[in-house]
Amino acid sequence: MARIGVYVCHCGLNIAGTIDVKAVVEDAKKLPEVIVAEDYVYTCSDPGQERIKEDIKKHKLDRIVIAACSPKMHEETFRKTVQQAGLNPYLLEIVNLREQCSWCHSEEHEKATEKAKALVRMGIARATFLESLKRGMIKAKKSVLVIGGGIAGIQAALDLANAGFKVYLVEKTASIGGKMAQLDKTFPTLDCSACILTPKMADVGKHKNIELFTLAEVEGVNGYVGNYEVTVLKHPRYVDEKKCAGCGECEEVCPATAPNEFDMGLRTRKAIYRPFPQAIPNSYTIDKKVCINCMACEGVCERGAIDHEQQEERIKLEVGGIILTVGCDLFNATLASELGYGHYGNIITSMEFERISNAAGPTGGKISSLVTGKAPRSVAFIQCVGSRDARFNEHCCRVGCMVSLKQAILVKEKLGEHAEVYVCFNDMRAFGKGFEEFYKRARDMGIEFIHGLPSEVRMAQDKSLYFDVYDSGTNKLLQVNADLIVLAAGLVKSPDYDKLQAVLHVPRSADGFFLETHPKLRPFDTPIAGIFLAGTCQGPKDIPDTVAQASGAAMKTTELLAKGEIEIEPLMGEVDSILCSGCAICKTVCPFEAVQLKTEEVDGKERTTAEILEAVCQGCGACSTACPTGAIKMKHFTDKQIVEQVKAACS
Amino acid sequence: MSLRDLMTMAKPAAELRLKTLSKVWKALPVDCFQCMRCTSGCTSLKLLELKPHAIVDLVKFGFVDELLASDIIWTCATCLKCKERCPQRASPYDLIMAIRNVAVEREAKIPESYMKAVGQILETGLLQSVQKVTTRKMETLDRDSIGLPKIVLPNEKFKEVFMNVLGGA
Repeated sequence: MARIGVYVCHCGLNIAGTIDVKAVVEDAKKLPEVIVAEDYVYTCSDPGQERIKEDIKKHKLDRIVIAACSPKMHEETFRKTVQQAGLNPYLLEIVNLREQCSWCHSEEHEKATEKAKALVRMGIARATFLESLKRGMIKAKKSVLVIGGGIAGIQAALDLANAGFKVYLVEKTASIGGKMAQLDKTFPTLDCSACILTPKMADVGKHKNIELFTLAEVEGVNGYVGNYEVTVLKHPRYVDEKKCAGCGECEEVCPATAPNEFDMGLRTRKAIYRPFPQAIPNSYTIDKKVCINCMACEGVCERGAIDHEQQEERIKLEVGGIILTVGCDLFNATLASELGYGHYGNIITSMEFERISNAAGPTGGKISSLVTGKAPRSVAFIQCVGSRDARFNEHCCRVGCMVSLKQAILVKEKLGEHAEVYVCFNDMRAFGKGFEEFYKRARDMGIEFIHGLPSEVRMAQDKSLYFDVYDSGTNKLLQVNADLIVLAAGLVKSPDYDKLQAVLHVPRSADGFFLETHPKLRPFDTPIAGIFLAGTCQGPKDIPDTVAQASGAAMKTTELLAKGEIEIEPLMGEVDSILCSGCAICKTVCPFEAVQLKTEEVDGKERTTAEILEAVCQGCGACSTACPTGAIKMKHFTDKQIVEQVKAACS
Repeated sequence: MSLRDLMTMAKPAAELRLKTLSKVWKALPVDCFQCMRCTSGCTSLKLLELKPHAIVDLVKFGFVDELLASDIIWTCATCLKCKERCPQRASPYDLIMAIRNVAVEREAKIPESYMKAVGQILETGLLQSVQKVTTRKMETLDRDSIGLPKIVLPNEKFKEVFMNVLGGA
């Protein structure tokens, strides 16, 4: 018979405040296989762990049941504890008395105690049949794929490359730089966005450990942690990156035009173009959707860089880890139709304002009306467009308040004190370092803050724009006439996420962004081993937070791959090849592509059976449930262990 | 209740608050975060001083009595703009309708204009009486003179259905 030790944790009052832990201990003591049963205030503390170790030695315990918090919290802690006392770490069972009992039944003390007793009995039943398991080791490649060349991808790529890893940086557009390259100034210090970004971009371009793929996308990812095989689809640029010096002769002669995406479509570019002068790679690109194949560019290019026949390429890469830094999209403000964006002129989004305010932008940095070209006398900012709005997105865009403060300050600086600036807001979220001081600076400059959001923007007969807004401070309905209205359009999920999710299997949260493993303690990880997240694809954030997360994700990747080999959990499926009929149902249900079919000759006959790739398997158990012959056993979750647990629940 | 309105010395009425909220169908008044978009666009604000955000807030706190006693709840023109544009699906419109229903249940006086409108509908099937207008050229026009069809008066069946609806509310 097993010799089991049962430890019921109070977790301060988290568990003991609801559950009668003494009664749970007494109940467990009734079972014959339970040698020791005790309760303790904080089992995870050092003295708490010491007691368990002493008991294992003193009473020759061979199974441990700990009734405490979720195994997600401390299973690893206690595995180390039992291992230090000489026990196999998998001979430990955690019973979740906190999240699944005391916290959710805090109003019903007696019933909660009864449930806790039953849960502990179930844990003991399962523990009796636990088996020793051994962790495996796999080799890991010292190379990393970074998907997305915005500031997050740039930072992560540079950190990893400097640490000696080979980095492949894949960017969808013609240049790296992302949204940060489009910004004019950055809050709260007002330093020029391009001035702090472009040196980093140049570093990426020159770094011997970084290989850059632009106009490229990740088409397929196979393999497992430490050994991913990636297929990158590189779209043709029609210009040889290595030959092009960026002289711009071709642009002069090109007759075809298209809206300039980098300037948010506020002016045009040619069919052969470079998104912006500091682009990396510093090479022109031909947009074949608008190119009329006149070949004028070919005629003027002295270096012979233009190649209209270039084809798309598929490149295979082998990497140990992947960092996802694809960024986000901006809310389509036409959806909030009552605000008139796209319907009236002189209503722009924050990003369009950035381009207008930028010296390299369509107005040369002059704040002016796009309709008349004149400087506006009054500018109004409307906050929370598409954010914190159940019709569109529930989440806060996290940058809108500070972006509008910055832009309001820029208007005052550029147009002078006489310019009227209004900010219509709901909550002013100035939470970061130096943000509140920045808000004060804006108030001191005479920017008018109206606590209330307008219901709609209207156009008067003389074509001027106005809106009514109720201000809660003055309890008055105010009418604001604005020559320019700036909408703080939020940060939202990108349609690209769907494709990437299909390739990477990384889950997403309800707001559509990619989901981190733990919101506080594992903000860089995804549930897929070896795939990390950084930047706004994980959720809206500003530049400092994005850079911090990118460096963090790079560190986590380094931690994983630096040793060249990775320890893997033994919680996985195991195929009994005698029972396996080779039906391949397991292969179809496996969400991680961990099942392979192998054909062998047995007694002169060909026989196909399933095989589970240890490093790929995440232990979800889908194959085991689906197997019609019962050939797949889940290690650490065997049928016997689960059936005994169910029996204990029913007894 | 540890809350008191120092202007009226009134305390929140918890039961009345729940009763009112229970009549709100699918709207979420307690989610209101006072952005005041409803009041910014309210059709009835300028002439009749209806402030939907204030009504939502009063109900949230439980100061329902003063709303029931006030004429303000009858000024809503039911344009539904507040419901359409509310970022938190708090729908002040639905709440105002709920308060009206509570008021009627408690035998509050329904404003005369409402009763007039009911009579008008019963009689003609229309919310407003048919009017004659005078143009800038001082011509007097009515439906006949501009060739509009004659108004068909409602039949007994309509009146029966209409009274049933009123009775059911």
